[in-house]
Amino acid sequence: MGQMEDRQDPALSGNGQWLATLVLREGTPTLLLQEQPTGRRVPLPHLRGLRPHHSPALSWNGRYLALIVQQGPRRLAVVEDRASGRFHRLQLPMGLEPERLSLAPDARRLAISAVAQGRPQVHLFDLSGLLEPDLPPAQALRGPANASEER
Amino acid sequence: MRPAARHVCGLWSLALLLSGCMGSMPLPMGGLNRQLAQQGSHREASLSGRWLASIANRNGRDQVELVDVDRQLPVPLPALNRPDALPLSVSVDSGAERLAVVRQVGGQTELVLYRRGLMSSEVIPMAPPGVPRRASLRADGREIAVEVSRQGLVQVDLIGVP
Repeated sequence: MGQMEDRQDPALSGNGQWLATLVLREGTPTLLLQEQPTGRRVPLPHLRGLRPHHSPALSWNGRYLALIVQQGPRRLAVVEDRASGRFHRLQLPMGLEPERLSLAPDARRLAISAVAQGRPQVHLFDLSGLLEPDLPPAQALRGPANASEER
Repeated sequence: MRPAARHVCGLWSLALLLSGCMGSMPLPMGGLNRQLAQQGSHREASLSGRWLASIANRNGRDQVELVDVDRQLPVPLPALNRPDALPLSVSVDSGAERLAVVRQVGGQTELVLYRRGLMSSEVIPMAPPGVPRRASLRADGREIAVEVSRQGLVQVDLIGVP
């Protein structure tokens, strides 16, 4: 990637335009969002003061950025809507401390990995009531325009 | 305003106030969550489209598993889970055609691209040499972002998938 600094935990948007990684800033994992292939960095003001950051994930077009942040003693799962500027702090069931997350590319579902009752578990959540879907561009139709006229 | 209507308005205002303070509440997918919990431990979840890939522990052995979330059914992954391999990370594309798996085999750590339709696993070499630690497959399956330990640094490689 050109720069001699540690970076880890990569996540690509579904279309490959955006890359999220974690870099160390003052010794603390901090999210870095870059456009590909230029490497242009995108400021993320909502995430300031919520470090360390963990486990980033991006939707298809990079509209949504989901990750785990630290707020005081608690780890929170959050989703930033880069189109509207809204910042969602996800209220998880009592006692569920997220360790990693995975956002479905269409942003309809979220998987949280956590330790519950001493063993690692995965919990799925439906986000369709919270977020608009972020879908891939429509694909061109294949085949003849009017199959019934084909002889 | 009648007392009953005032009461309802008060409760609604309180609910709005609480939701604003408490944050957004995602809806737990109860049925599938219960099913996963009954099956044992799972970690390293990767969601893409209707597919959930994860590393599950079965009888003390870690293995990659795939679930069709819409149908709430497991999907077989023939020839992926080897008895001598320990999976560390998994990522699935949106069609569940490809899975990128980082695993330890015989003291070595390798990145494997599994093609479900072909039931084949291809080891992806790190160039320059390095030890893969975690992989994230692009949803369209065309690229893998890999966290690689290399000469004392942790770096990210982007690898195109043919």
